[in-house]
Amino acid sequence: MANYYDIDDILAEEELVPTVFQHGANGVGLFDSSDDADKVEAGSRAELPFWLVRELYLRQLVSIRVPPCFDRESKTREEIAADAAHVDLRSRSPYFYELGCKIALLIRDRTIGPFLLVAFQTRYRDVLVKAHALTLTMTPKYLTLLTNEETKLYEAGQSSIAAFKKWRMGGPRFQVAPVLGRKRKLT
Amino acid sequence: MYGRKASELVKEFASVEHGQVFTFNNDLFAQVLEECDGHLLHLQPLMRKIQEHEDKLKDKSRSQEEIGISEDETSKSQDEKTLIQNALKSDQFGALVHHLSLVRNKRCLMAYVYKRAEVIRSLGWMVDSVLPETIQEKLSTSEKEYFKNHAATLQSYMAELDLHLTVDMIPPKDPYIKVRVLDDIGEIALSDQVANLARHAIMFLRRTDAEQYITQGQMEELTG
Repeated sequence: MANYYDIDDILAEEELVPTVFQHGANGVGLFDSSDDADKVEAGSRAELPFWLVRELYLRQLVSIRVPPCFDRESKTREEIAADAAHVDLRSRSPYFYELGCKIALLIRDRTIGPFLLVAFQTRYRDVLVKAHALTLTMTPKYLTLLTNEETKLYEAGQSSIAAFKKWRMGGPRFQVAPVLGRKRKLT
Repeated sequence: MYGRKASELVKEFASVEHGQVFTFNNDLFAQVLEECDGHLLHLQPLMRKIQEHEDKLKDKSRSQEEIGISEDETSKSQDEKTLIQNALKSDQFGALVHHLSLVRNKRCLMAYVYKRAEVIRSLGWMVDSVLPETIQEKLSTSEKEYFKNHAATLQSYMAELDLHLTVDMIPPKDPYIKVRVLDDIGEIALSDQVANLARHAIMFLRRTDAEQYITQGQMEELTG
């Protein structure tokens, strides 16, 4: 398990996974807020967050349908195979890789791992090139395609370029503590 | 959906730029705590029911052992047993869901507080022991206390070492630098002179003197 306090890990586990109940549950009314019945019947379908699904699946109380973006026959796989760099992974899941790894471990699907690796490798190169070359006006459009992890890589690439330029040109080295925000307005 | 509010809390932290302080979300925090209480209220009757079912099952098997019964009755009691076992499993399932939600909420709350504490600790290194008001009002009471104590610990450690650790975070090239004063600071005794730091004044100061004012946003370094 990743670090207990890891914000990204916590948010990745909030992603929804489609499940089917294999057994009824009493005293639970979470899946449909309009339904006041204090009970969930066996066979009902619901999308549950991953942190709940993992434990229930290990106890065989629910069965999982693999989220469509990881499915073997899915469109996402075809698109990645065709041109990985331009697939909008963010709309599939902002934690595409993290969720993929967790699900692959859970349901022991050996095809998900290599699939994620190929996707990441091809996209990584593109992210780095774009981080160095893209102008500011194009950036927002490109960022909408990236997952959270890729966005971080992109920003790291940009900040290293900025730091390099600053080092070459020289400039003030002391700075206002970043917590204080932007420069004060002169009154 | 359970755990939704807690994840909103964490999301709020994630959406803020790294290292920035933002207002402690008392409202949402309290709502998550309330949700936890709700889970507990659900959990207790379920636990009681589970206990009852288990007791019943035990009774059944004991009575079966004690009195020999005909085949017809055995199958009947077997049916009853599966019925109870099913109900038991359903209750356990429900209890598990509530338990997991509690654990999840706890993790979210802990992460929220912990990550904020991390930022507050780093403040101690950047802005010295006095917090500007804009930041003060964003902290909760216990966080203010935490910052004060942390700053005090840092100070006493530095006093013990006889070394000021928060200066020269960037290696110096020149002992003196040119700065512009951005705020009316007034007459101040610096290490080598008594200077009148009026707004807009441009002066040469020792780096070590200027550094704390710059990090607090009261001066800026001039180059060229």
